Amino acid sequence: MLKILFQILVFPGILFLFVFALAVEFVDRRIYARIQNRMGPPWYQPIADFIKLLGKEEVVPEEADKTVFKAMPIIALTTSITASFYITLWNTKALFSFNGDVIVVLYLLTIPTLTYFLGGWYSRSVYAMIGAVRTLTQLFAYEVPLFMAILASALLANTWSLSEIAYFYSKHPWYWMCNLMGFAISLIALLGKLEKTPFDIPEAETEIVAGCFTEYGGRLLATFRLAINVEMVVGASLLAAVFLPFGLNLPVGINFIVYIVKIVFIVSLLAILRSIFARLRLDQMINLCWKYFAPVAFLQVLFNLAIKEFFVK
Amino acid sequence: MYKSGDVRIPLGPQHPALKEPESFMITLRGEKITSINIKIGYNHRGIEKACEERTYIQDLYLIERICGICSHSHSTCFVQAVEEIAGLEVPKRALYIRTLVAELERVHSHLLWLGVAGHEIGFDTLLMYTWRDREIVMDILAQLTGNRVNYGINTIGGVRRDISDDHKKDIMKAMDTLEERTKYYVGVAQEEVTIIKRLSGVGILKYDDAIKLAAVGPTARASGVKRDVRHDDPYAAYGELDFKVITDTRCDVYGRTVVRLLELMESYKIIRQVITNLPEGPVTVKAPRKIPVGEAVSRYEAPRGEDVHYVKSNGTDKPDRVKVRPPTLANIQAVSHMLEDRYLADMPIVVAAIDPCFSCTDRMISIHNLDNRKKMTIPWEDLHVQSIEWHKKRGIDFSGLNRKLRKIKIK
Amino acid sequence: MSLEENIKNELEEKFPFLASAIVIKRQRRIFVDIPQENFAEVFSYLIMKMQFSILVAITGLDEGNNMFGVMYHLCRETGQMCIARIHIPRENPLIKTVTSFFPSAEAYEREMVDLLGIHVEGLAPGHRYPLPDNWPVGEFPLRKEWKLEARHDIKENPHV
Repeated sequence: MLKILFQILVFPGILFLFVFALAVEFVDRRIYARIQNRMGPPWYQPIADFIKLLGKEEVVPEEADKTVFKAMPIIALTTSITASFYITLWNTKALFSFNGDVIVVLYLLTIPTLTYFLGGWYSRSVYAMIGAVRTLTQLFAYEVPLFMAILASALLANTWSLSEIAYFYSKHPWYWMCNLMGFAISLIALLGKLEKTPFDIPEAETEIVAGCFTEYGGRLLATFRLAINVEMVVGASLLAAVFLPFGLNLPVGINFIVYIVKIVFIVSLLAILRSIFARLRLDQMINLCWKYFAPVAFLQVLFNLAIKEFFVK
Repeated sequence: MYKSGDVRIPLGPQHPALKEPESFMITLRGEKITSINIKIGYNHRGIEKACEERTYIQDLYLIERICGICSHSHSTCFVQAVEEIAGLEVPKRALYIRTLVAELERVHSHLLWLGVAGHEIGFDTLLMYTWRDREIVMDILAQLTGNRVNYGINTIGGVRRDISDDHKKDIMKAMDTLEERTKYYVGVAQEEVTIIKRLSGVGILKYDDAIKLAAVGPTARASGVKRDVRHDDPYAAYGELDFKVITDTRCDVYGRTVVRLLELMESYKIIRQVITNLPEGPVTVKAPRKIPVGEAVSRYEAPRGEDVHYVKSNGTDKPDRVKVRPPTLANIQAVSHMLEDRYLADMPIVVAAIDPCFSCTDRMISIHNLDNRKKMTIPWEDLHVQSIEWHKKRGIDFSGLNRKLRKIKIK
Repeated sequence: MSLEENIKNELEEKFPFLASAIVIKRQRRIFVDIPQENFAEVFSYLIMKMQFSILVAITGLDEGNNMFGVMYHLCRETGQMCIARIHIPRENPLIKTVTSFFPSAEAYEREMVDLLGIHVEGLAPGHRYPLPDNWPVGEFPLRKEWKLEARHDIKENPHV
């Protein structure tokens, strides 16, 4: 019991996630800056930003629905953390697991996006409302390719549990090569989920100020930002667990380092992607997702079904 | 026009997309713009009136401060008009130096624009790159004139500083670096998919509309209108230099980007010519303090388009009337046309694409507050109340927020 | 004969009353003083028949002697500029809008309305420019008698 509590609260649970999320934000910002020929922030910048925001006054708009407005950041944070408990991090065993948890994780990762929508909508500012509508529209575009890409990998492993997926790939180490297409799709979809360029349409600064987060400030904004960072870690962990399942059987300590390397690798890819593209328009983004990404993801599903039929015993 | 389900959103007077205060009230249906209402004039500083009460030399420095980006444009344009009235024969070397500074200014302005355009479409990497390169030309300008903006190089009858051989060497070296970097940006603009997607077909201004709405500068040239004052009505040393007027027939924001990028290449060419052909001689002639009666219209191709100054003198040391027609005033009227039936997401880049400079356009805070010293500082509360009233009149109600803020104050 | 003289001759031929009103200031600069009653016909002739198809600016100025001047800076694509000028009495400062020829003239005309108090007939309603909305009624900064000195009697326009 005490061990479980320690695992949830400290390692590899909440505290570890917070620290790792802030570290990952630093990596993201630093790489982004170096590509742009800038120095970038020092390592403690994300923590400093977080603490500074915590100290700021909390202003809730008069017109806003106060309960929803204040609850949304917490819900965003808790759901992303909950999702992490079901994801295999550096071995083949997640903290909790049952058959079907891959679906639960995907849905848990959708909830933060919904909280952005609700938080923006109930803050009753025109910019936030437009941002909210954009968030939701965008959600429908990238969720389908993401789900298909991840489920394709699960199909190959013939299970709906992330722990068993990890177990399967550690038994058949080279099958992860089959999923590269799906990995690319999920990476791009993750950009959309995290609302990063080129999919930062819901918070396009030059159009709608900060989108859903326009009215947020102080502790609430700090929580939201932490939630986004945790979501980045959890999303990257999900991708690592599903698409990069190697090094899971290495000795304790080394597999942890391998895990960190994998997450930093994925986050670096995200940072590179967001620095080399311009922001797309909403209609272009939806077109892109439905016309190209969804068919490719579907192809991945068919491909994996074929592989499973002929090779996997 | 206004249906339920339409959303009115104010872009400005303060908004992250705008670098200067101006107001665009946009009515949206979904993501589409159904109507747009532009209000400018927030930067009115009464410069034209102030010019009438100062001497010509004082005016020169005042006029230079109309705008920070195209300061040399305004001061040259004004000086040209005054010199024409006074009948001054400006030395060749002075004209070449003016041309040199003018082109350096164009380079810095176009690079600045490219960065701003990148930022407007969410491509911050481009912003960081171009502004890094812009430092090169800013350093050159600082070395040459002593200032990064508001160079103060012009004076009536010539220029105030001469350039040395060291300057020439540095400029030539800088031009090589900039040319190479600009080629890279041309490559980026041609190949980068998201840039092409965001820019092409956006903000269309057809040739006929460009003529009818009297667009100027790169905005007009990207619609195929071959108008460039440097070519049509040569001033300074442009009559003796070899350069092309860049036009494009795409008529959209992408065309305007291409025109500006290629103009950068032309500017490097002009700067090299100026440096190699720089004539020897004095850089200034003595100008009288009192300018004889007369009037003159002076035209100048600023980085944003044609700048026109009209000066009327009355025989004293102060002008009778100074009129400034900055390029943005001519172009801003085309903006609402360009935005018809476009997406909200296109709005920032379309506005940015005319390279607006509202401090030029308005040229003139209320004099009422200026002369009445007691009223010079408006209390924060008054300003706040005033802004809320202002928005209420335009259909936007922030009173909820207002109540909240009052509560805080009472606490 | 230079291009500018050609323009001068053509104008004088067509409109005899302009005989002594055309001045060629220098290359590419022609000033034409047009009587107010003949302005419409000369103006449309310049635009329609003589390729002065670009309106660069409109300048309004207080000329003293109880007269205002309004100058239309018209341009050809080849660079010649014709400055068509009319003089209007200060008691009745009324001109007709040229927005039917040039939609872009609106801003320039509004500027004259705000700064000089010239009435422009036919100008569509819209925001004022460039003065603020609460600018006092009857204060026109570009008139010569209007001074920048401290004035405590100015009241903000309450009707906005």
